[in-house]
Amino acid sequence: MITEKGLWNRLRLRLLFTGPTLFAFLAVMIVPFLYGIYLTFTNWDGISTTSSFVGVQNYFSVFQDTVFWKSFLLTLKYVFITVVLINAVAFLLAYVLTSGLKGQSLFRAGFFIPNLVGGIVLGFVWQFIFSNVFVFLGKELSIPLFSGSWLADPDKAFWAMIIVTVWQYAGYMMVIYVAGLMNVPKDILEAASIDGANLTTKLRKMVLPLMVPSFIVCIFLSLQRGFMVYDLNISLTKGGPFKSTEMVSMHVYEKAFLSRDYGVGQAEAFVLFLLVAIITIAQVYFSKKLEVEA
Amino acid sequence: MKFWKWMQALALSLIVVMLAAACGNSGASGETGGGSAVTITLLNSKGEIQSQLEEAAKAFKGDNPDITLEIIPVPAGQSPFEKASALYASGNPATITMLDTGDVEKFKDRVLDLSGEKWMADAVDRSTALTTFDGKNYAFPLAIEGYGFIYNKAVVDQAVGGTFDPAAINTTAALEELFKKIEASGKAPLIVSPMDWSLGAHYLPLAYAGQSADPAAVAQFVKDLKAGKIELTSNSVYNGLLDTFDLMAKYNIDKASPLSGTYERGPEVLGKGEVGIWFQGNWAWPQISGFDTASGQYGFLPVPVSNNADDFGNTQISSAVSKRLVLDKEKNTAEQQTAAKKFLEWMVYSDKGQDFLVNKANIIPAFKNITLEAQDPLAKSITDYIAEGKTQDSMSTLPADHWAKIGASMQKYLAGEADRSVLTKEIQEYWKSVK
Repeated sequence: MITEKGLWNRLRLRLLFTGPTLFAFLAVMIVPFLYGIYLTFTNWDGISTTSSFVGVQNYFSVFQDTVFWKSFLLTLKYVFITVVLINAVAFLLAYVLTSGLKGQSLFRAGFFIPNLVGGIVLGFVWQFIFSNVFVFLGKELSIPLFSGSWLADPDKAFWAMIIVTVWQYAGYMMVIYVAGLMNVPKDILEAASIDGANLTTKLRKMVLPLMVPSFIVCIFLSLQRGFMVYDLNISLTKGGPFKSTEMVSMHVYEKAFLSRDYGVGQAEAFVLFLLVAIITIAQVYFSKKLEVEA
Repeated sequence: MKFWKWMQALALSLIVVMLAAACGNSGASGETGGGSAVTITLLNSKGEIQSQLEEAAKAFKGDNPDITLEIIPVPAGQSPFEKASALYASGNPATITMLDTGDVEKFKDRVLDLSGEKWMADAVDRSTALTTFDGKNYAFPLAIEGYGFIYNKAVVDQAVGGTFDPAAINTTAALEELFKKIEASGKAPLIVSPMDWSLGAHYLPLAYAGQSADPAAVAQFVKDLKAGKIELTSNSVYNGLLDTFDLMAKYNIDKASPLSGTYERGPEVLGKGEVGIWFQGNWAWPQISGFDTASGQYGFLPVPVSNNADDFGNTQISSAVSKRLVLDKEKNTAEQQTAAKKFLEWMVYSDKGQDFLVNKANIIPAFKNITLEAQDPLAKSITDYIAEGKTQDSMSTLPADHWAKIGASMQKYLAGEADRSVLTKEIQEYWKSVK
């Protein structure tokens, strides 16, 4: 029916259904994005009524901003460790919780709950745990590891962030892995058992290859969330002690709104966007090649 | 078929109308109400007086039934500048915006010139100097705040064995003597709260402000610092201030893990008398009073920068007008602007307004005609220093990211992760990077 009509009729029908969403998407994503790119060529400070055009000078500033690149490297390190840990923990949880354990749905719900708590609240809860509960326990039971607040030491504060991130996202990724594991056809596993394959062989040769789509999604999600981490960063460590755990998003935000260097901050955000886009697209592209059919 | 087409057309036009209505709304939001009733808004960036301001708004409405004042708080963790610029960007600025002193200049094209207001004549000296550009003053000085070492009188009295004389602490050596006495009395001498804003916006700037009693010379010093002409390594005020800081770090109750403390711990240990001294400002009184065990007996000591009692800064307390009110002229109507001006006058000249400022909000007003005595001991202590002329202007026009950047460097120094030469280098590098 649709093909019989002219162009205008088809367009009208499409606009009816996609128009509102398209408008919202354009208004809150595309227009600000393009306007943001325009701002990178100006020296606007966020409030003044005038600003002048400065060309690509802001981009030069980005490449000269050593703190930006330092926090980018720190973020890379953070992303690498969290992606590995989140997915390892999530897969293990999913594997255990699909093996027919008693009360496994309860456990699944339990592990998923941290993900329902917002990053800011979570950060404050863990801040209390790290700087009060652990210190108290450390003093009572004289455990040297917990004698001082983890958040007061640059390395430990970094690991505190990783622990909280893994705790928060492992449950979410677990749900995706559970779905993936349940979709592995039972008949081929049964056939493999009859052929005498043991548990590890089945896991390595059949389950893991068939789970590649789940891994792609989970790694993509954890990569992207890792790079964009901000709420946890600000509520758990505030980038401290002395800026040693300041992730790149936080640096960009502070550049724009604290140092009031809107142009440079925007330019850094754009550079960050490009870098993250390249990394995640490459990840999806290359891991798609690993997909197999049952 | 025909019906279906009609439905499509109807749905499309509905969407268009909705969008037009949604977009059109923002333009009209400035004109609230008609006739004589007028609603004005105040963006409050002093979170601790939110409820007091709301009560003041009620009292103000009692005197001026036509004017409704709404108080909008700046969310915790957001700076007044961020919130105010976001409101401007959305075309919906508050009628009255409470800004930090250093931010006023950025807003000067968008806010009213207040030079002709009645209260200008009663404002204390120099209180409007920093918000005056090209001979026009753009802001109402709301509160004077001061900071230094807050002492718990019960603890220091016990330590010195008698009545403690704050005037005796006028050198670094005298301060150390006091620390030792407190320590000998079985209490911890002091707590250093490691927040970056406390170290970066309050402590270190004493090194700039202490350069000279003449504000112009201090301004010149900052300018030279920016130009890279100042060698801090050989600057005596700067080194003297850090010598005092070394002492503070040495006698700090949290010496074992200096960065793990939070702001909340400060008022607790000072109020309970576990320490004798806390480096903080008069805004901390509401929190201290919650733990008070010294029956409200607290006061300020200046931060000494040398061993010569006559040096500037050793007997002066750092204070300045820290919060300013500006009135929007872009989106608010003439009636709203007049109403806002009326509110400013009401605070300065009406009994209820003065009562709000001094008694309810514990503010030290910047107006000579207000003679009410401060209720809280910290405000009283600052007022006494001001009355004796023993004040040093706090640095209130530092670059916006100074507190965060220098605060981080100071934390590093406090934790022993960096020595003085590294700190000095970082401070000088920072100033060179300021545009």
